[in-house]
Amino acid sequence: MTISGLIGLAFIIAFSGLIILFTAAKREQPESGLRKIPAFSRLRRAIGLAVEAGSRLHLSIGRGNLTGPESAVAFVGLSALEGMIRSASTGDNPPVATAGDPSLAILTRDTLSSTYRDIGNIEHYDPTTGQLAGFTPFSYAAGTLPIIQDEKTTAHILIGHFGNEVALITDASERNGDLTLTGTDNLPAQAILYATSEEPLIGEEVYASGAYLNAGPMHIASLRAQDIFRWVLIVVIILGVLFKLAGIDQIFTDIFGGLL
Amino acid sequence: MNLNLKLKSPVSTALAIGVGIVVLLGYFFGNDPSGEATTLGLLRAFLLQGAIVWAGVAMLVGIFNLASVHLAKIRANEEASYSFILLITLIITLGIGLYDIVETFTQQEINFQRTSWIFNYIQLPIETSLMAVLAISLTYAAARLLARRLNLISVVFVGVVLMLLIGAMPQVAAQAPILAEIRQWILRVPTLAGARGILLGIALGTIATGVRILTGSDRPYTG
Repeated sequence: MTISGLIGLAFIIAFSGLIILFTAAKREQPESGLRKIPAFSRLRRAIGLAVEAGSRLHLSIGRGNLTGPESAVAFVGLSALEGMIRSASTGDNPPVATAGDPSLAILTRDTLSSTYRDIGNIEHYDPTTGQLAGFTPFSYAAGTLPIIQDEKTTAHILIGHFGNEVALITDASERNGDLTLTGTDNLPAQAILYATSEEPLIGEEVYASGAYLNAGPMHIASLRAQDIFRWVLIVVIILGVLFKLAGIDQIFTDIFGGLL
Repeated sequence: MNLNLKLKSPVSTALAIGVGIVVLLGYFFGNDPSGEATTLGLLRAFLLQGAIVWAGVAMLVGIFNLASVHLAKIRANEEASYSFILLITLIITLGIGLYDIVETFTQQEINFQRTSWIFNYIQLPIETSLMAVLAISLTYAAARLLARRLNLISVVFVGVVLMLLIGAMPQVAAQAPILAEIRQWILRVPTLAGARGILLGIALGTIATGVRILTGSDRPYTG
């Protein structure tokens, strides 16, 4: 095992330890200390309005591959879906979810059915509310458009892996006057979503969705662990810059160069 | 210590956590110092190959999902015309694909000409047209951004986009090389720094999601 592999493993073990520690320590006041993200406040309002007005919420978890790293953001989307159903299950029109990957579509239906069962409202579960919109990027966008254009749908939450095609979805949503909350792990798509969506989530904000939608104390604990490791990385980067400026970075390269 | 683990289906949860840990450890301890695959590495490769096969099977399930959703729409008479066209084209494409497969087996020669024709002359032009629509949508969105969200970041965003577009024009680069240099600097320094910062945040979020799944806190599956 290389030194970089060892560092990676130590990083993951420390990260897991911190999450478990924070979960155990902060169980009593789970939501204290979360900074305000306007997008999530608007989403909560939209969920409340949807329940009151009998309108529908739409969540799309993108077209990431389940066996690739982009699946992580789709899992965040599934946590958000669970939170949304728990909050909006009493509405006349249950939330609808779309995916652009068959494996994710199966997980979407699974999340829908298990959440409705959990909250004792399985009679509200409609299997057609979990849909595979399309197999290719543009067919996925085209398959999502009828849901956007549905008059009953008033808010669209796009949390997952998207490409440039997401602009077609947000454009249709804007023309309908609906709320669009978006977050993705793909950098070009993030730039597009910043310009086209009403409430874009930048960078790691998307991974905080579960914590803001009451998906459980571990989501809040993982946010705190991320904050600590972000500071660790900042310190490491600044130290690296200082060593480089002082001209002593070569010493580290000589020591670790052969091992990394 | 209660971690709110959702262990309602302990067998599937234990299986998922076990497989996750084996794949993770296989990533770090998959090879011995000589570079040979260890037992853990072989097990990891076997599990990942299995996942890829299951993803292929999921494609079939996905087709049934697509068909069932649109059949339900036809029955409920909502967006029925689009759903009807989708189902008809699905059946035709599936039929042609199966015909090509049967012919390939009977003639012992790979022949997917008809399926390729559908992709090259129907699917590809439609997706290219959507790409053109996308270009217009993006231009419109950039123009609307300042009207929708007038703040410093949006102004910088639109300004940088304009600067990069103008700097990319060959005539401008030839007559005002300073603009091309500014463009290169923007791409090399602030853009790269910002992208790396965002990627670090995404990497931390991805690890956090992985840890939650490994500990059974997030369970995007039932059993």
